[in-house]
Amino acid sequence: MKTALLLLSLLMLALVTANAQDSTQTELDTKILSDAPGNTKFMLTGAAWFGFEANQKKDVQVNFNSYGFSPIFLWKLSDKLFFESEIEIDNGEMELEFAKLSYSLNKYMTIGAGRMLSPFGAYGERWEPVFIEKFPNSPIRARSDYLPGSTHLNWGAIMGIDVRGNIPLGSAKMNYVLFVSNGPTLDNGSEDPKKGGIIDYENLDDNNTNKEIGGRIGFLPFSNSSLEIGLSGRHGIAGNQNDPLYSNIAATSYAIDLSYVESIELISSNIGIKGQFNALTVDKASYPVPGDTTGLMYSFDNTMQNYFVQVSVSPAMLSNHFLKNLELLFRYNSLTPPKDAVWGAKDASGKGGSITRADIGLCYWLSWRVGLRFAYEMSSYPDGTKVNEILGRFVMGF
Amino acid sequence: MKKLIITLIAIIFIVAVMALINSCATSKDVAEKSGSELWGENCGRCHNSPSPSDFSDTQWEIIGNHMKLRANFSDEEVNKMVKFLQSGN
Repeated sequence: MKTALLLLSLLMLALVTANAQDSTQTELDTKILSDAPGNTKFMLTGAAWFGFEANQKKDVQVNFNSYGFSPIFLWKLSDKLFFESEIEIDNGEMELEFAKLSYSLNKYMTIGAGRMLSPFGAYGERWEPVFIEKFPNSPIRARSDYLPGSTHLNWGAIMGIDVRGNIPLGSAKMNYVLFVSNGPTLDNGSEDPKKGGIIDYENLDDNNTNKEIGGRIGFLPFSNSSLEIGLSGRHGIAGNQNDPLYSNIAATSYAIDLSYVESIELISSNIGIKGQFNALTVDKASYPVPGDTTGLMYSFDNTMQNYFVQVSVSPAMLSNHFLKNLELLFRYNSLTPPKDAVWGAKDASGKGGSITRADIGLCYWLSWRVGLRFAYEMSSYPDGTKVNEILGRFVMGF
Repeated sequence: MKKLIITLIAIIFIVAVMALINSCATSKDVAEKSGSELWGENCGRCHNSPSPSDFSDTQWEIIGNHMKLRANFSDEEVNKMVKFLQSGN
């Protein structure tokens, strides 16, 4: 009997201990799981596209010349930590577009670091992604299509740190981004005098210790957020710190962006208006004269402006399934490079001027993220050259 | 260094402004907006509005974080929109 009681006591003790261990193990498992990588929330999204251009004046009049795939990786590491990255493969060339880690400091402020889309203006961060851009082409930008180099002013990546958030203002709202980045680099023309004075804001490896400071303030005056007006600015030294002629040369830019959406029942349509104006000023400096071997230098007023204005009409309130998925678009673009620089578009007398382009577009939405886009673009150059092209693009967001 | 000091001052200024205006905060009509209202008003400003059934609950949570950063939405706006979109599944 004594032995039976002892065995029963041992069994009960074992059960209690086992139960306690189970509870401890469960708590431990829960803790481990909450911290384990397997608990991280991950999502793969992005876009793919395929396009063509048609131009009667070109040797190849119709050309399927555009394809790409850009997966975006999103990781929610915790309620406060978030990582996002995009790899773009555009016409066979692969590039890491951005890779940024963000930490939510409080409900009004998030700090981020890494390679990020430039928060200067609204186009680069918000409207450029290929399944969002309703045209098969981009607005005129200050890049290698029109200049001997790309400035990455309207769109591109920066390396640095940003702080961003949202501020309630009664019925209105305000949002902000402040950033510190490597800043621009200045081409001094030593390797190719035809590029002297060109700025590139996509600076992944800085040429000076000075860091660029910039930001954007967005103001949404209406309670339905239909209108947003953004003001952006950035300033930083662009010259190489080891080059005494250019070590103090700074670049300053500002931008104004606007977006407005409205549903108009009278025409059963949604209308959208978007636009952005950018201006860039580089401090006065002298650059080598192309073709000269005697060391002759020249200087010019290194300022540049470009803008676009876009209007879209979508009869989304019609009952006809085909018509309600159509969207009509118009966009006017302009780029004015420095008039007296050796680079940039020139007229017959060698004087610089503006490149303008009007785009008439048609978009058909197969679903909210899959669309066919067509555009007739009409470009005019200062020398009187006119180029007309038809463009098409099939885009799928996923 | 000077620029960094200016940046820090700018950040402190923003925080001070936020603290100041937070006292008036969001108006009642805006604060009472539902997730579906916010979804209808905000998504379409840049792109077509997706259907709630397009993504899983977890995916909506991740997309909420992504859009909070991309469009600078507030926590309240994102939480309401995510809950509305998750309710469609």
